[in-house]
Amino acid sequence: MDLKDIKAIIDLMKKNDLSVFEMEKDGFRLKLQKGIGDQPIISVPTTMPPPPTSAAQNGPAAPTSSGTEATTLKDIVSPMVGTFYRGGSPDAPPFVDVEKTVTEDTVVCIIEAMKVMNEIKAETSGVIAEVVAENGKPVQFGQVLFRVR
Amino acid sequence: MFEKVLIANRGEIALRIIRACKELGVRTLAVYSEADVDSLHVQLADESICIGAAPSSESYLKIDRIMSAAEVGNVDAIHPGYGFLAENAHFAEVCESCKIKFIGPPSSAMQAIGDKNTARACARKVGVPVTPGSNEIVETEAEAVKVARKIGYPVMIKATAGGGGRGMRTAHNEPSLINGFHSARHEAEKAFGNGDVYIEKLIVNPHHIEFQIMADQHGHVVHLGERDCSIQRRNQKVIEECPSPLMNAGLRKKMGNAAVKLAKSVGYENAGTVEFLVDADRRFYFIEMNTRIQVEHTITEEVYGCDLVKEQIRIAAGQPLSRHVAHATPRLHAVQCRINAEDPARDFQPSPGRIAFYYAPGGRGVRIDSHAYTGYIVPAYYDSMIAKIITVGATRTSAIDRMRRALDEYYITGIKTTVPFHAAIMRSAEFRDGKYDTGFVERVMSSENFELRHAPGRRLHQ
Repeated sequence: MDLKDIKAIIDLMKKNDLSVFEMEKDGFRLKLQKGIGDQPIISVPTTMPPPPTSAAQNGPAAPTSSGTEATTLKDIVSPMVGTFYRGGSPDAPPFVDVEKTVTEDTVVCIIEAMKVMNEIKAETSGVIAEVVAENGKPVQFGQVLFRVR
Repeated sequence: MFEKVLIANRGEIALRIIRACKELGVRTLAVYSEADVDSLHVQLADESICIGAAPSSESYLKIDRIMSAAEVGNVDAIHPGYGFLAENAHFAEVCESCKIKFIGPPSSAMQAIGDKNTARACARKVGVPVTPGSNEIVETEAEAVKVARKIGYPVMIKATAGGGGRGMRTAHNEPSLINGFHSARHEAEKAFGNGDVYIEKLIVNPHHIEFQIMADQHGHVVHLGERDCSIQRRNQKVIEECPSPLMNAGLRKKMGNAAVKLAKSVGYENAGTVEFLVDADRRFYFIEMNTRIQVEHTITEEVYGCDLVKEQIRIAAGQPLSRHVAHATPRLHAVQCRINAEDPARDFQPSPGRIAFYYAPGGRGVRIDSHAYTGYIVPAYYDSMIAKIITVGATRTSAIDRMRRALDEYYITGIKTTVPFHAAIMRSAEFRDGKYDTGFVERVMSSENFELRHAPGRRLHQ
């Protein structure tokens, strides 16, 4: 995906009055969201160079020349096959929620495999941006559980 | 019959098992590594679960993840295919304790006969002839020298936990014995986690003839004749045929009965193969038993008119041996060529990568068992076999001519394959005469007439 493609997507969004566009392909993720205010909401993997500024003010948000950076979302993925639980027991509150700050050792969830409850650590630090996996549902190896920024 | 089966394997055999399940009305759950996400068997299974990263040790050999997937998928049975965990008695035990049926023999039978050295002891006990050799594992170099002197050179040092031609060394004299003893142990330790070796007399240029066994859970054990697997390269099979050109009715009866007797003596169930070496004087010696379905089960199916994988599933579900299997007789002749992603012009160097264009032959008497397709990326992490081509004919000659015709239509671009190598063998007079042995490939490749040419239709293009 190059700048030409991203610009084309932004145009299409403007034309069709779309507020959010998100795609994932071959390890590359792109999310474009029409901004309210000047919060930067483009997220790309850290290896991609940030797209240059766009003059559009009312269109979809883009990094402005005032130097706001693109945020990177990191994935917490499942290291095993099993059932995903947000809390330590059915009535217990979830270990983490959106906006919770986590460090590498923070337990974020339980994956139950073969009757063993495995505590899964964040292994990254930041703030939970999204809870992706569904409570009580099976997850496979490599499946995204949470996104952290 | 089972509701759902988990296929703990990949590639062509996973596809084979899924096909059998579908025909039996059984739902399928495929487990796969990250390298196999686009694999055909994953696409065709009813459900699929990713169990790990590309290396087999991180995925296909991870018993805990496979069992988790089995639990999450709520399966009744697991088919282990061949390789990976298929002959792992511990895995069979884990399945047994989780009340998930392992489609294969009980772990006790696997332990009794799967270990090559104890298998020899079992054979001796029931009067099945074995190659002269050490009665036990050979622990030290001094012992190895003593045993070799007693048997007489040449000898073969073999890993008891070995397979696929690894952990084996031949020795024609004492210095090479000493070297071979240590390197075989080292190789076996690395490949199988068990460096134990034993020593056998090396039978020079024998025929490798194996018998297909099928046993149900009610004590019925039958054999479905032999396969000749003498065409090998570096101790790995490349071409198999059924029946063996060396066989006659009398020898088949003797060897078949020996195979059945051995299987019965260890309480065997499900599919298995008893391997023998046959020397120039038609004397046979038991070497080992493979406690799984084999790559070359296909040619037995074509000649005896049965579906061995479906029969495995039926047997595991508790049904008695099907009548058509129990009373099967050989009717035709079949040949199989294993097509690998390797370059025969460069010492069979592996050739993984994207298959740009794939066209498989067809027509009467041609069977292709393959997970390959145009655009498929052959991963570098696993064995290089991408297809099996099987031809059937009323006679041996017609099966070979058909194979030659079919190989000439087989068009695979983007990677190198062994198709031209097989085509050259089909043209070889020695092969066509049926008078080959395990030294054949080496001989024929160094002969002047051996030419790697392959000219599929010029009009076939992307």
